[in-house]
Amino acid sequence: MKNLKHIWFIALKDLKIFTKDRAAVFFFIGFPFLFIILFSFLLGGVGSEDERMELHMVTLEAAGGLSHQIIGAMETMDKSQLGPGAPKMVWDRDYDEARRAVEDGELDGFIAFPADFTQALMTGSGTQLEVFADAGNVNARAALNGLAGAISSQIGTHQVIINSSVALMVEGGVIPADTASINTAVQQIMNELFAAGAAGAEASYVTFRTEKVGEVEAENPANFVIPGYLVMFVFFAAAVTAETLVRERQNHTLERLLATSVRRESILGGVFTGTALRGLIQIVIFWVVGILAFNVDLGLSPLAVIILSILMVIMSSAFAVMLATLARTQRSAGSLATITGLLLAPLGGCWWPFFLYPDWLQTIARITPHAWATSGFNKLMVFGADFSSAVPNMLALLGFAAVFGAVAVWRFRTSAA
Amino acid sequence: MAEEFLVVKDLHKSFNEFKAVNGVSFSIEKGEIFGLLGPNGAGKTTTIRMLSTVLGADSGDATIGGHSIRRDAEAVRRIIGVCPQDLALYEDLSALDNMVFFGRMAGLNGDEARAQAMTNLELMGLEDRARGKVAKFSGGMKRRINLAIALMGNPQLLFLDEPTVGIDPQSRNHIYENILGLQKKGMTILYTTHYMEEADRLCQRVAIMDGGQIITLDTPYKLKSQIGSPEQVTMEDVFLKLTGRSLRD
Ligand SMILES: Nc1ncnc2c1ncn2[C@@H]1O[C@H](COP(=O)(O)OP(=O)(O)OP(=O)(O)O)[C@@H](O)[C@H]1O
Ligand SMILES: [Mg+2]
Repeated sequence: MKNLKHIWFIALKDLKIFTKDRAAVFFFIGFPFLFIILFSFLLGGVGSEDERMELHMVTLEAAGGLSHQIIGAMETMDKSQLGPGAPKMVWDRDYDEARRAVEDGELDGFIAFPADFTQALMTGSGTQLEVFADAGNVNARAALNGLAGAISSQIGTHQVIINSSVALMVEGGVIPADTASINTAVQQIMNELFAAGAAGAEASYVTFRTEKVGEVEAENPANFVIPGYLVMFVFFAAAVTAETLVRERQNHTLERLLATSVRRESILGGVFTGTALRGLIQIVIFWVVGILAFNVDLGLSPLAVIILSILMVIMSSAFAVMLATLARTQRSAGSLATITGLLLAPLGGCWWPFFLYPDWLQTIARITPHAWATSGFNKLMVFGADFSSAVPNMLALLGFAAVFGAVAVWRFRTSAA
Repeated sequence: MAEEFLVVKDLHKSFNEFKAVNGVSFSIEKGEIFGLLGPNGAGKTTTIRMLSTVLGADSGDATIGGHSIRRDAEAVRRIIGVCPQDLALYEDLSALDNMVFFGRMAGLNGDEARAQAMTNLELMGLEDRARGKVAKFSGGMKRRINLAIALMGNPQLLFLDEPTVGIDPQSRNHIYENILGLQKKGMTILYTTHYMEEADRLCQRVAIMDGGQIITLDTPYKLKSQIGSPEQVTMEDVFLKLTGRSLRD
């Protein structure tokens, strides 16, 4: 009881200090508002008639090139066959026209295959897909980058298979070992592979990961943009308050606290609680504004969204306390907070829709708590999943919180002794 | 002989290889004002930090009101108040908020904390500035708040680590009177200072530390008698004679 009171008074004291810092208040509460207003501007065109994301592709190659096979295989022929959240693929025929359309703001962006695409693949000299997008349209750019990444990784895999098959054929004497024959063989295999893909109903070369598909129609981009920024801001703002404990040490009030009958754990608990209180205020603001101004849909299980948000706050606050016990100076606490806050956010799917990331990147991103949070929100709010499917994400966030908390307590014990 | 409230036995503390406190023993009687003097780096603050349970001792022990600082730190913390050498204040909060916060940390309830805060602010002549932000206070005012916070919770033993450094003679006199007032109420006080006349005036006994050890311990009168007529020599003469004239730190 006494300990809980101590924790509570330390948290209130931190909140009081926080409210005296206008810049901090703006960062926590005003800034997300500003961001949301900015979004309504950026996303203005997206949510109108057809909310499905469109991805455009163009090739500079002459007809017969491999890029024609690839685009043909991916192009969406029948929109009604698309799953929820899957983007519509459009084949634009004229590069210059597409470019002009982007410059005039009529098109968000497109991917272009270079004129030497097939040749470069044959000779193994490497090639580059061009992503041409409106600099201001983060979502379109992200989606196109994700698509380009997916195409190149898929082609890379095929390339390896083909090269090794051809090598086997040469070794086995099936084809002669001169350049012309090998090129012909490679070209033949590739054409067959891509033709097979085009004939099939699904484009099997570029797969988009969609975690779970429910009964949801084309979605409102705010449904994945707002949770992304919520995750980023809650985490970042919490991490920044790691400075609280360091400041407490530097202005000697920590020493003063240690000489009172307050337990060590209560001091950490107080910093944690103060940070969490601020986080809760943030998520309330995010969701209220999201629902009222952006028509955000919390999906089948609003309770799961709320629990996930609260766990996000708890995890972030635990991270903040851990950071505070690791950093020696206020400055290092600040820079560690900024680095982790800004590095983990894009990796964890806060800036771009996580479900558009290529599989390998999604796998890597799982080391960040952000990815578990954003993919959980995506499941619930984009793919119409129910409570139970978000449970793994909730458990993961709890796990992160427990690890961060344990490190913090251990560090605080050893460094305060 | 009066009751001994604080008993220090052979305290040691090293930072890396450096022996900051090297076998310190002394005791303070209940209701006594005891001066701990010594040049910069002598180990006074380190001794106080160990006694106030903020810093663990390498060896040795001390008891305060019968509680060991090693085995029963919790009980020790309940009966001590500390005025640290470095200002330990929340600059962004008001004087009153600072006092009430530390009062609650000392276990007072809301009403008690506010009442004591006002009493102590009055004692320090700061009742008019109770709601002023500490960041805007003068150096002397901050010093007085720093001391006032140490009084929250009515501790039985007060550690005052250079409470009067950097403040004007008026404030200093004000603080002396308060300290004497606290003594009358039965508080025991361990006092460190670099102002020798201050120690002479306030302390019943003083210990002079140098190089982590106590080199002498007695009443100011007896110490002065050792080097001449107590009416003519000052504590400063005693101090310089015992600790030498070379610079420290
Ligand atoms: N945390 C620490 N780490 C390393 N050395 C320390 C630490 N604290 C104190 N010291 C060293 O221990 C010695 C004693 O320091 P202490 O602060 O106890 O001296 P002091 O008597 O209070 O001096 P002053 O009159 O200047 O306040 C000094 O040499 C100091 O540099
Ligand atoms: Mg000192």
